[in-house]
This record gives sequence, structure tokens and C-alpha cells, in this order.
Amino acid sequence: MNLKRILIVTAGILFLSLGVQAQRYITKSGKITFYSDGPLEKIEAVNNKVNAALDSQNGMFVFKVLMKSFVFEKALMQEHFNENYVESDKYPVATFKGKVSNINEVDCATPGTYKVDVSGQLSIHGQTHPVQTTGTFTVYEGGVKGNSQFTIKLADYDIEIPSIVAGKIAEEILITVNIDLKPLKK
Amino acid sequence: MKKIILSILILGILGALYVWFFIYNKPHTDYEKSKPDFELTTTALYNDYASGKGDIYNGKVLKLSGKLSKTDDADTLITLVFVFNEGMFGDEGIRCTLLPKYNSQIRNIPLPASITLKGFCAGYNGTDVVLEQCSLLK
Repeated sequence: MNLKRILIVTAGILFLSLGVQAQRYITKSGKITFYSDGPLEKIEAVNNKVNAALDSQNGMFVFKVLMKSFVFEKALMQEHFNENYVESDKYPVATFKGKVSNINEVDCATPGTYKVDVSGQLSIHGQTHPVQTTGTFTVYEGGVKGNSQFTIKLADYDIEIPSIVAGKIAEEILITVNIDLKPLKK
Repeated sequence: MKKIILSILILGILGALYVWFFIYNKPHTDYEKSKPDFELTTTALYNDYASGKGDIYNGKVLKLSGKLSKTDDADTLITLVFVFNEGMFGDEGIRCTLLPKYNSQIRNIPLPASITLKGFCAGYNGTDVVLEQCSLLK
């Protein structure tokens, strides 16, 4: 085998290994629940059609959430949420664009649980604010499962609580994220 | 006097029961029984959203006809996928969550297949048009 052939084979192996590392993981059935416990009303809703994408090389992490896909136990609450609170006709999508800052500590090829730090910009109701949270990535044979919890203030996103129920509905809500990311097949 | 007080009391109780059952605890809309607001093809729907003209379908009941590319099976929920594009999140197009009562019917259809369905349009998330609680019409 001459030198040229050895160089080509080595370059090919390097290129392939880089390609494997730079894998993108996605889901279109991620689950986000929100919960608020006010003196008047406990509010809980779930959306299990969340889009999420993770670039395992640079840590880029993106979520897209359709507001009309949140399901409440009570139809009246769902109606109020869409019409009066988040105005989902006007602002149909919430997005998160951020990074897993310690992605270099996550080995997507080795099953295990890794603690991750996530920060980025969360846009809801036409307002964008920074969010910083921690979570876990569980790498398994079929992909990466991600979990996190954080709170947001309704006032930050210009979501007004009607004066008649002010003080009776919590001003902060707890967001829980559960995603099962699978490698994107090209 | 007693009669008036009793009448007011009964009316009050009836009013409270009405609010409790028909307003506060009113049932979710049954989209399977709803009349469609729009009837169109999956291609027309995707093109309208992709070109920024799709907002008129947000929150509406749609009757859609098109060629079903594949299905995504997750637990008991089956999502019907009409693929039109390829992007950051993989396949892009129209994703319709099927009411579980139609699961066995769709599993028996060889794909790709031309189908007609009805469902609630939740909107476009930048990659896919999402329909919920879909029923198979043919």
C-alpha cells in the first residue's frame, strides 16, 4: 500500500468519525407540562407534540411548541388559556433557542446519566427572556432522554392575570420537560 | 313571601348547577362530530402554511385528502405523516394525531395510501402543520 492510499484511507476514517460525532438528535413528540398552584385554582396542562433538536457536537438545543396543542383537564381552562392568556391565535408558537454549555461532558456513545447545564432564550407570547436551568441527559442505546424543570414568571412574558382573579392564580408556573431524542437518520 | 324565597332559592340552585355542568365543567369539543370549516388537499394546506398564508386554518376543523407517506407509532398514539420537505427536524410536512379508535384501521392500510381525514388544526410550528384528534373518513 503506497503512502497516498494510506493518507486517503486515514482521511476517510477521520471524516467518518467526525460525521458520527456531529450527530443531530431530534423528537417531534416531546412532552412539556406546566403546573401552577394558586389559592383559587390549580392549573395543569400537557403538550406531547413538542419539537426538539440537539446538536451533540456544539450543544445547540432548540424547541418549538405549538400553544394550541396544550391539553387541559377542563375545556373552559383551555379556552381561557388560548384566548385570554397566551393569545394563541396571535402568538401560535413558543420557542427556546439555546445551548447545552457542558455538552463536551456528555458522551452520546456511552450509555449513562449526565448532568447538563442549559441556557438560552425563551419566547412566549411575543416576549423573549433568558432562561437558565439544569437537567439530565440519559444516553441509552436508542438515543438520549432529557429531563428538566424550571419556573417562569407570567409577567416576564406579558401574560396578564385578569383583575377579578388576581392574587388567586399563581404568578409563577413550573415547566417540566421530558424528551426522548433519537438520532436523525439522513 | 315563603313562596318567593323558595322560588329564588330554586332558581339560584338551578343557575349554579347550570354554571357548574355547562360552563365550568363543559366537555371538550368532539372534533369527530364537528363539521369541517375547510376542505382541501394536504398539498394545498402545506403550501399555504409554507408561504405564510396558512394562519386562517389555525384552530379550525379541516377535512384533508392526500397521500399518506408514513405513520409514527408512539405508545397508543399513532401520528399520520405527510412528508413534503426535509429540514433541521428531519421530515417536514403535516402531522396528524389519530384518535386511538382508528389505530387498527390505519395499521391495515398498505403505505403509501390516499386517505381522507378530519381533525383540529393546532397550527404550524415552522416545520410541520399539526392536526389533533383526527378521524379517518376513507
